[in-house]
Amino acid sequence: MSQERQRPAVERELTMSRAVVEAIAEEMRDNEEVFYMGEDVADYGGIFDSTEGLLDEFGHDRVMDVPISETAYLGAAVGAAQEGMRPIAELMFVDFFGVAMDQIYNQMAKNTYMSGGAVNVPMVLTAAVGGTYNDAAQHSQTLYGTFAHMPGMKVVVPSTAYEAKGLMHNAIRDDDPVVYMFHKRLMGIGWMPAPQGPKTPVPEEDYTIPFGSADIKREGSDVTVVTLGLHVHRALDAAAELEDDGHDVEVIDLRSLVPLDTETIIESVEKTGSLVVVDEDYRSYGVTGEIVASVAEESLADLDAVERVAVPDVPIPYSRPMENEVIPDSKDIEDAVKALE
Amino acid sequence: MSGADRIAVTADGDWTGDVDEDEGVVVNWFAGEGGAVDVGDALCEIQVEKVGVDIEAPADGTVVEIVFSEDDEFTIGDTLAWIEPE
Amino acid sequence: MANISTRQLKSMYDDMVTARYYEERLQEEYMEGKQPAFDISAGPLPGELHLAAGHEASGAGVCEHLRDDDTVTAPHRPHHIAIAKGVDLKRMTAEIFGRETGLSRGKGGHMHLFDTDVNFACSGIIAEGCPPAAGAGLAAKKRNDDSVAVAYLGEGAIDQGAFLESLNFAAVRDLPVVFVIEDNDWAISMPKDRVTDVENGSQRASGFDMPGVRVNHDDAVAIHEAAGKAIGRARDRNGPTLIEVQVHRRMGHFMGDPETYRPEEDQEAATQRDSIERLAEDLRARGVDSATLDDIESEAHDRVDEAIEWAKDQPQPDPAQAHEDVFVNPPSGVTDSEPQYELKRGDD
Repeated sequence: MSQERQRPAVERELTMSRAVVEAIAEEMRDNEEVFYMGEDVADYGGIFDSTEGLLDEFGHDRVMDVPISETAYLGAAVGAAQEGMRPIAELMFVDFFGVAMDQIYNQMAKNTYMSGGAVNVPMVLTAAVGGTYNDAAQHSQTLYGTFAHMPGMKVVVPSTAYEAKGLMHNAIRDDDPVVYMFHKRLMGIGWMPAPQGPKTPVPEEDYTIPFGSADIKREGSDVTVVTLGLHVHRALDAAAELEDDGHDVEVIDLRSLVPLDTETIIESVEKTGSLVVVDEDYRSYGVTGEIVASVAEESLADLDAVERVAVPDVPIPYSRPMENEVIPDSKDIEDAVKALE
Repeated sequence: MSGADRIAVTADGDWTGDVDEDEGVVVNWFAGEGGAVDVGDALCEIQVEKVGVDIEAPADGTVVEIVFSEDDEFTIGDTLAWIEPE
Repeated sequence: MANISTRQLKSMYDDMVTARYYEERLQEEYMEGKQPAFDISAGPLPGELHLAAGHEASGAGVCEHLRDDDTVTAPHRPHHIAIAKGVDLKRMTAEIFGRETGLSRGKGGHMHLFDTDVNFACSGIIAEGCPPAAGAGLAAKKRNDDSVAVAYLGEGAIDQGAFLESLNFAAVRDLPVVFVIEDNDWAISMPKDRVTDVENGSQRASGFDMPGVRVNHDDAVAIHEAAGKAIGRARDRNGPTLIEVQVHRRMGHFMGDPETYRPEEDQEAATQRDSIERLAEDLRARGVDSATLDDIESEAHDRVDEAIEWAKDQPQPDPAQAHEDVFVNPPSGVTDSEPQYELKRGDD
């Protein structure tokens, strides 16, 4: 009973996009009420391969290309979800949320509460996030903090194929709205090569990863680095470099922002006394401030030093030298860790 | 089993008509050397120009050698890996 | 063809051959460092690139009527429109290469070009140039000048709220705005008959009680004629018009688009109906000889080559500049001090 379940050895590796698709396909096979809507998700297979291959198995009725009408189809997902179906609706780039935000934050996120729990909205809103390929201010944001700020949405951010599959299964089965934010750079797309790390062994059977369970990606005793998405890998790179300088860095992958696993963070800070929060979103009023405040509220005495590494409060610039300046890289994380001393 | 029985995994298929270039890049391997695969499994993903293609295992067996690693450039028709059949 | 002079025809031809060659050259430059497999972030010209080869007639035919003080908003596929509007070719190219002397000092890139000298702007979000164009028309009307605004959008954008709301706003206020739908048949992978039940985008106009016109071929002269009526109507303060023009997408949605969803015949057909050759025939029919057309073309090529060479020689921005330009005023606004008032409360 208390014995840990033996995990079978997994050899097969998948890219993150294939892991996402595997989870969606499995849910669609199991439940006829699951369907996918988005722009270029059927014949194209998703600009970022988020639905590659689904059309062949499920056809246009369940893998639906939609007009460029985000308000209509995201709102339609809310309505279908309230009828008990399990729609997955994709925003091609999270940056496009602006044209349909009312459906997201005034309908999807609030209908459960406004109805006193009488209504629920079991949908998944998927969105591609992130920069690093010079797509400028309207196509490079993560907006993690924007979605996590407003109550009523669960917000998850996978960093590897293993996480991507388990979180997607959990998202589709969840009876509440889940915003599933996948980083373009992690998907393993041929034309946007991923760094080392997001391609992982992925079990063939379905499994769920609970929201609100951060994962310690690297154990360390000197400094706690808390991050998510692409920056999990950048933090791991930084930790490997810092090891040579005698810094033993712990890297925590949040995996979900709502709910937030403060317990894992605080346990780590109690051990290390130092906290670096790394985010690809804007610095102010966002993830970095929230994590630091949560630790300060619960465990101020353990907190000896804090650093934030995030995008300064400017839109993402187009030109490569300027984009590199504002999006944190592993060197910025190393510098932040060293600055704690 | 002798090496002579190995089966080549080649960068070839119906897709070659869709591209003009002869060269491509291995983008992702989904199995490693020593990994067991079933016929039809996606072994790796290659990219030629803007077209991504899955290369499937030609037989049940074990991947015994990967000739072109990720990011390596190959020419269409090259042997990307060898499989020792079951 | 009575209402158009040979000089105007030549001017449009110049814009169109400039735009075509510009896209061909950018395609070459863009693919540098991205072979043999396409990597969007590699090479000297990174990021997304949406090229407009096949769209030239709609840029030239409409913008031929416009003055520098008329406003144009363009979508994510903007180069041919920018060229026809008279955007500075060198500084636009430098922007696309992300250089310090670019139109936006390297901050905007090819989807976010702003040239205030000729009132040109573009945006990467579908249909979102429509409301600002209505705003430019509103400003012109309030100030009682006779400038107009033109909003370009793709046929995929006609299902977007920003477009439909702008049509209504412009119509109810009789704003001097012309909406130009460039119908290239494809919204990335979506043929239009799968996303709308109307045959033509111009039919959207009837719901807003404004004229809706469709030009069935990318015939620069026909587009010029339709645009002339619409822009004249706007300048005379008689309200907005919606025009849809058929164009063709010759180079994919973006430069990484494998177009595996697109039938080969469709792709080939798009390259065969060439608006530039059509206009050349019109010019020859007016007695303009081939040598003159060749001269226009070779001068256009020289200008494009020169702009690209110039742009590539321009300095990269200093990374520190990333922190500038969020505001034009300091964060404190127009003042950094406030006067001293003794504020009396009622109950004191």
